[in-house]
Amino acid sequence: MNEFVERLVDLRWPDHVRPSYDVVIIGGGGHGLATAYYLATRHGITNVAVIEKGYIGSGNSGRNTTIIRANYGIPEAVRFYQHSLEMYGQLEQETGRDLMHATKGLLWIAHSEAGVRQERARAEINTAFGSRTEYVDVKTISEICPQLDMTGQGVWPIYGASYHPAGASARHDRVVWAYAEGAMRLGVHVHQRTTVTGFLRDGDRVTGVQTTAGPIGGGLVVSAVGGHVTTLASMVGLRLPIRTHQLQAFVTNRYAQAFGPIVASSGLGVYVSQTAKGEMLVGAEVDRAPAYAYDSGHSFLRSCAFRSIALLPFLRDLRVLRQWTGVCDMSTDYSPVMGFTGVPNLLVTTGWGTWGFKAIPAGGEQMAALIATGRTPPLIAPFALERFANDRTMADRGSAGTH
Amino acid sequence: MANGSLLTHLLRGEKYPAGGGCLCLAGDCPHCLATVDGIAYVRTCQTPYHEGVSVEPHPESGRLPPPVSLGDRAPVPARSIHCDVVVIGQGPAGRGAADEARDAGQHVVTLESRLGQDAIGIYPGPLVVARTNSGMWHLYPREGIVVATGASEIQPVVPGNDLRGLVTARAAAELTSTGIDLGRVIAVGTPPADVVATTVAGELVRFEPRSGDPRRVGAVVMRDAKGQEQRHECDTVSLGLGLTPRDALLRMARGTNIRGVGDVLLAPDLPPCPSTGVVCPCAGVTVDDLRSVHGRGFRELDLVKRATLAGTGPCQGAVCVPHIRSFLGAQGSDPPASFTARPVTRQLTLGEAAAGAHHAATPRTALDSQHRALGAQMERLGGWWRPWHYGDVDAEYTAVRNGASICDVSTLGKMQISGPDAVALLEHLYPVPIASLAPGRSRYVLLLDERGYVVDDGMVSRDSETRFTLTFTSGGARFAEAWVRDWAESLDCDVRIMNQTMSLGAINVTGPRARDLLALAGVDSPPAFLHHAVATVAGVSARIFRLSFTGEMSFELHHAADDSTDLWQRLLDLGAGLGVRPHGLEALMKLRLEMGHIIVGQDTDFDSTPRRLNHEWAVRLDKPSFVGRAAVVRTNKVSLDRQLCMLEAEGEAPAEGATIWAGDDYAGYVTSSGWSPALGRSVMLGWLRVQPGINAGSAGLPTMVTIDGRPAHRVTTRSFDPEGLRARA
Repeated sequence: MNEFVERLVDLRWPDHVRPSYDVVIIGGGGHGLATAYYLATRHGITNVAVIEKGYIGSGNSGRNTTIIRANYGIPEAVRFYQHSLEMYGQLEQETGRDLMHATKGLLWIAHSEAGVRQERARAEINTAFGSRTEYVDVKTISEICPQLDMTGQGVWPIYGASYHPAGASARHDRVVWAYAEGAMRLGVHVHQRTTVTGFLRDGDRVTGVQTTAGPIGGGLVVSAVGGHVTTLASMVGLRLPIRTHQLQAFVTNRYAQAFGPIVASSGLGVYVSQTAKGEMLVGAEVDRAPAYAYDSGHSFLRSCAFRSIALLPFLRDLRVLRQWTGVCDMSTDYSPVMGFTGVPNLLVTTGWGTWGFKAIPAGGEQMAALIATGRTPPLIAPFALERFANDRTMADRGSAGTH
Repeated sequence: MANGSLLTHLLRGEKYPAGGGCLCLAGDCPHCLATVDGIAYVRTCQTPYHEGVSVEPHPESGRLPPPVSLGDRAPVPARSIHCDVVVIGQGPAGRGAADEARDAGQHVVTLESRLGQDAIGIYPGPLVVARTNSGMWHLYPREGIVVATGASEIQPVVPGNDLRGLVTARAAAELTSTGIDLGRVIAVGTPPADVVATTVAGELVRFEPRSGDPRRVGAVVMRDAKGQEQRHECDTVSLGLGLTPRDALLRMARGTNIRGVGDVLLAPDLPPCPSTGVVCPCAGVTVDDLRSVHGRGFRELDLVKRATLAGTGPCQGAVCVPHIRSFLGAQGSDPPASFTARPVTRQLTLGEAAAGAHHAATPRTALDSQHRALGAQMERLGGWWRPWHYGDVDAEYTAVRNGASICDVSTLGKMQISGPDAVALLEHLYPVPIASLAPGRSRYVLLLDERGYVVDDGMVSRDSETRFTLTFTSGGARFAEAWVRDWAESLDCDVRIMNQTMSLGAINVTGPRARDLLALAGVDSPPAFLHHAVATVAGVSARIFRLSFTGEMSFELHHAADDSTDLWQRLLDLGAGLGVRPHGLEALMKLRLEMGHIIVGQDTDFDSTPRRLNHEWAVRLDKPSFVGRAAVVRTNKVSLDRQLCMLEAEGEAPAEGATIWAGDDYAGYVTSSGWSPALGRSVMLGWLRVQPGINAGSAGLPTMVTIDGRPAHRVTTRSFDPEGLRARA
């Protein structure tokens, strides 16, 4: 009756907590669970615990706008996200689960000469590093998305766009569950409703975590938390170049499928897509002021509704169903942070800003490889934390815009 | 409602807006949705009937309405209302609370959804936002908020619960009171008030359709105490199955002065654990679906919701949540709390949500109509409308290089800082000496943040011992003001900071004959290079700054914005004999690119240190302290990884944003690019990465590169006027 009921996944929760694990992963979102999944499936490491303070996927993994793209601004990022995008394309086959993955194409619209320059640059570098993106003119834009008001309500005329045909989406929860199921099937323990309250130390070394379910030892501890990573890191005296900002979104009721692509506009600071269920999904840029709170704002709803109508007039008479907020860990160079922390036995995967969902497969796979081998794989070596101390920051204009 | 609701109007005509299901008449259930006057998902029970209303039934069996907007609609008005107390809900409890507050002399605003006033959320502030039939209300209560939204009635979850002729007990009473004949009424649970009904006892088993009308209920089947099924024929079933507080607004609100009164504070009734039938009519989720996902590990309310989508439809869980709680409770856990309450609690269109919003205006300079009169193509840049060109870029360029030209640079950030601590503040803000800058002198400055990243650039000019004029980029001015004020406050500086960006106009007079034009304007001895002075220019009082961005002798005339049009027109008139014409940004981009001058924002990235920008000359590390010094010192200790470089190539200019290759390796990208008429080749600025295997003599930067498949080379000294003699002429 309801084609969206999850009918395949079988989550086998552990019935006890072991005193210690080879690897303890803090955070049962996409990144934490994918890391556990790849540790188990690729490296045979299954004595692993994932500690989640809510339920799996209750943080940003279940709050994001599910866009998968690889059109970033620097070669290292394009390579990484392209790899992740390709892994997403294979993930249904690998896990045998229906992730509602759909390739939709992504239009990134320019409303000024400066915007045109940015979209041309995006198209160039993406294509050069294997993630096809082309600069398209207004005629092509109209063909790809006939609902666009090419005059932008007479205020924000459309000059051109970059078009990323491989832009896709998938159902966020199902990605989380597929990884959780696969990991647990091979013996990984996922402990929900368990909060990390501190770290176990032996001198400098981290030897485990203190939790609401008691102490849990860990050969290695990996932080895969979203939103509160700085709070967690401060428990071991580690400062991260991260600030946490709110990101808000809203959806409408469900409507018949009529809107194919994902449309983003940096000039208007808004992006729009239609979900598999038929909801129109509208998001914006992160709020400027840092905050940890999950409150939804009225000014966001008002201005985002207004700006999305300027781009897509048909949205005006659709009805808003629900708005919500996630909290994003923004690094100072808008690139992720993966790997060693300088604190022995503590690893981190963070800085996922507004681009964490699209990075889940590659992020999990690469973190697992790092954990299993003790060596940083080349694909993520540029994203090490030490880059901030070494003046090797990875400023990425491609991620600094929307989503 | 004066004319009654749209739903009662339809029911009187034996018409149903949607398929069927137990009608609540209270805006909770999804069974009366229809497309009304072109807007889908409208609850007809909450919509007043009006003559000529267009109603399309909501699509059935999984089909969805099309996402469309019909024609033009008038913009939705928005009102901001300040009051003492907002009372949401005007049932008995809400009326009592409103009366009490009024008696205490408070200004009270009440909201009642049956009057078409739906509170959609309580936001931080507190701010109550309401959708009304006359537009959006934004309510700012000073004293408090009373939530009196009451309780919703629990819906039946048994087979046949999608039939027509099912109503809640309250709905039965209301329909009867409006004169609608419900026929033979069987009451299950609490009977309806003032309705002739036969109350039947036992456990609700199923509803059966009427013979001859399979969509309408014909009987209700109950199981009695002995376990026997009893069938009761009827026209209507009234269901009084218990109450769930309608407390989403109460749960989402933060703050101390928000309270509930009346039924909204009830402990929720828990219906019996459902055994079969549709639990969530919005998403079509059955009890079997609940069992299925629960058996596979989805054991929390939120996980069940996400696995089935129950509760994500138009009623946002009003129907299904009590039953899912009961279901999960029966599986051995305590009945879980409800979902997190979020806006919007009642639906509204995007057009309504957007009410009161407007496009942030892009400002125009005082010379905007002059530019348009001259045929300029206007373009948004740096947050302003600016002339991109006046129709002939080549002529504009040539006027600057060979004659004289004027340019509207009023968009520059302009700030005056004065006071005893002005020197101390600027010494702290800028990475170059300020105290030694003599009155009447100017110098180019970078603005660094604590990370040593360049966030803006501009000029510092000293007017007197204690007064300075600062300029910033057009796009960076707003940030710069906040930055300067923040530091002045942090350092407790005794300074006055005056933002003059809007009050002063600025016109740049540039070209080898710029001095001639000034002479015609009555300025016989203009200031020397990097000097400034006050003078009367063509009858307008101005401060003249001698500097250069175009590479030619340039005088930037800062003047009261009220005088801009006079000054502009007089310079054009006086310069007619010199061939003076204005130039736009496209020509300016080319002119400054020939000089290798950067534009912060276009040529910089958000981690650009002075060294990466090849601007170490603009940082004096012998100064003991300035913002960003520690970071610059630290990063200077590691090797350089990339640098903004000047590049040249034969042939036409590559597109800005083009990728730069060193052999097969990615080297960087072009940030600015243009054809240089002076050099007869293309000039560029672009990021180049330090490449392994390149000798240290060139800092590891490639010399020969490829852009768009064509060779280009890095230049360490600009080819055009390398000594900068023209600017100093």
